[in-house]
Amino acid sequence: MFRHNALRYAVLVVLLAAALFQAFTAEYFGLEILTEILILAILVLALDIVAGFGGMVSLCHGALMGVGAYAYALLSAKAGIAPPLAMAGAVALTGVTAWAIGAICSRSHGIYFIMATLAFGQMAYSYVFEALVFGGDDGLGGIARLDLGLFGIDLNDSRSFALFCLAALGAVYGAAVLILRSGLGRSLSGVMHNEQRMRALGLTVWRVKADVFGLSGMIAGLAGALAAQHIMYISPGLLSWTVSGEALVVVILGGLGTLVGPLVGAAAFVVLKHELSGLTSYWHLVVGVILIAVVMSRANGIFGWIEARWGDRIERRVADATRKPEPEEATSDA
Amino acid sequence: MLETRNLDKSFGAVHVTRNVSMKLERGERRVILGPNGAGKTTFFNQLVGELSPDGGSVHLAGEDVTALPVAKRARRGLSRSYQKNTLFDGLTVEENLGLAAAVHTGKATRLWSDSLADPEVREIVEEVAEQVNLMPHIHAKVSQISYGVRRQLEVGVALATRPLVLLMDEPTSGVGPEMSKRFHALLNNLPRDLTMLIIEHDMDLAFDVADTITVLNYGEVVFDGLPEQARGSKLLKDIYLGSWEDA
Ligand SMILES: Nc1ncnc2c1ncn2[C@@H]1O[C@H](COP(=O)(O)OP(=O)(O)O)[C@@H](O)[C@H]1O
Ligand SMILES: [Mg+2]
Repeated sequence: MFRHNALRYAVLVVLLAAALFQAFTAEYFGLEILTEILILAILVLALDIVAGFGGMVSLCHGALMGVGAYAYALLSAKAGIAPPLAMAGAVALTGVTAWAIGAICSRSHGIYFIMATLAFGQMAYSYVFEALVFGGDDGLGGIARLDLGLFGIDLNDSRSFALFCLAALGAVYGAAVLILRSGLGRSLSGVMHNEQRMRALGLTVWRVKADVFGLSGMIAGLAGALAAQHIMYISPGLLSWTVSGEALVVVILGGLGTLVGPLVGAAAFVVLKHELSGLTSYWHLVVGVILIAVVMSRANGIFGWIEARWGDRIERRVADATRKPEPEEATSDA
Repeated sequence: MLETRNLDKSFGAVHVTRNVSMKLERGERRVILGPNGAGKTTFFNQLVGELSPDGGSVHLAGEDVTALPVAKRARRGLSRSYQKNTLFDGLTVEENLGLAAAVHTGKATRLWSDSLADPEVREIVEEVAEQVNLMPHIHAKVSQISYGVRRQLEVGVALATRPLVLLMDEPTSGVGPEMSKRFHALLNNLPRDLTMLIIEHDMDLAFDVADTITVLNYGEVVFDGLPEQARGSKLLKDIYLGSWEDA
C-alpha cells in the first residue's frame, strides 16, 4: 500500500516547483526536454504501479505506450475522430489490450512473467511494423494536437503543451495514489506479499492482476497519445522493447514501488541523456554504469537512497512539530 | 458441514492419504492427532484445494467441491490457517485482518473506495481482533510482534473471512503450554455454530477443545471417536509412550 510521508511530499513539491520554473522560463529546447520528461514520467508511473506495487515486472509497457500513440494517430488522423474523443479512445483501447495481456500473464511469475510480457510487446511491434494501415517502417505523420482554443489555450505552442503534459502527469499521479489506496490496490499489495494466502482467503487473484494491469495500460496509453501529439509523427520504433527496457531502468533508477522515485528517475534519465549525448556518443554506457552503481548500492534507487539517509530524520522532525501521526491527504501535489 | 469420502493421495511411492473418510456436523469441533509425517497437513491441503486428491471427494455444506479451485472453496466458507506462518509480513495486524475481511465482504476489488475504511470491514477486523486477542497489537507490523502473537494472527486472518468451517493446522505449534492453554480458551469462546477442524500435536491440549477426535497414522484413520474413548484407548497410550509404529 502506498503512503505519503514528509519526505515524499517534500520531493513532490521540489519537483513541481522545478517543472513550473522550467515551463515558464525555458526556451524551445528546454521546453522540449521538459515535455519529454513529463511524458516519460507518466509512462514510468504506469510501470511502477504494476512492478513496484504488484510485483508484475512488465517488459511491454513501451509497446502499450505505442498502442496508445498509434490508436490516437489512427483515430484522429485517419478516422477523422475529434482529438479529445480519439484520446479517450486510445486510452480505452490500450487499457483493454493491457487487461488481456495481464489476464493471460497472471499465472506466470518472475522471469516467466517478464518474458511473457516481452513476447506480447514484440508481437505488437512486428504487427505494427508489417501492417499497411500503420504506415509500416515509415510511420505516420500529420498528427494533430488537442484543440483547447475554447479555453484560449494553443497547444501548438511548446510552453502550453508542456504545461498541458504537467497537468496530465498531476492527474495521473493522483489517480495512481487513489488506485493504490483502494480496495483493489490493497488486494494487489496482498497478492505481492503473499499470493497463496490471498487465494486461500477467496480472492480471484488473476482478476486483480488483470484489472490493475489494465488500469496501468490506460495510463501508458495516455502517455502514448501525448507522445504522438508531442512529436506529431510516430514510427514502429516507439513499440520497440528497448523503450520498455528504458522505462524499467528509469523505475529502478528512481526507486521501485515509491511513485515519487520514478518521477525523480524520469527527470534524471532525460537530463542525463541530453547532457551526455552532447558530450559522447557512448552515453548509454554512462547510464549503464550509473544504474549498476545504484543497484550495487543496495538502496532502492535514487529516492530509496535519499529516504534511507534522510527519511527518518525528516519524519521525526515533522512528527515532533505537528504531533499528528500520519497525513491522510490523498490528493497529489505533482 | 464438511465431509470427505475415501480421500486418497500418493506422492510417487509414498501413500500419504489412505482412503480417509471424515464427517463434521455443523458446530462440531474435531481435533486431528497424529505423529509428524502422518499426512495431516497434506489432508488439509486437499480439503482446501491446494492439492488435488488422486481419489475420493470433498463435500462442503452438502455440495461436492472436489473440483472447485482454492478461491471458490474459500468463498463458500472454507478457511484455513497454516502450520508455518503465512502472513503479510510488511503490513500491520489490522491490514492483515482487513485483507481477509475485504475479500469476504466483496470490497477487495473496489476501485472507488478503500477497503480498510469500509464500516463492514472495520467491524469484522475489530471483532476478530477481540476474538483472538490481537487488540493490543492492532497497529503493529507483523515484524514487530512476537512469534506467539503471530500464531494468533495466523488464525485471526483465517477467521476474518467469516468461514463456516475453520481449519487450523497446529495453531499453537512452538508457543509453549501456557500460551497454548490460553489460546484454546479463546477458541472455546468462538461462536458455537462455527465448525472447526484442528490439527494438534499435543494430546493434552487436544482435550481442551475437542468434541471429537480423529487420529491419523501413515495417512490412515486409526481412531475416530469421543475424547473419553480416546483417553482410555490403548492406542493413545502408545502415543504417550511415543511408539506410534505399533499402532
Ligand atoms: N509435496 C510433497 N511431495 C512429496 N512428499 C510430500 C509432499 N508434501 C508432503 N509430503 C510427504 O508426505 C508425508 C506427510 O506430510 P505432512 O502432511 O506434512 O505430515 P504432517 O502434517 O502430519 O506432519 C511426509 O512424509 C512428507 O514428507
Ligand atoms: Mg503438518
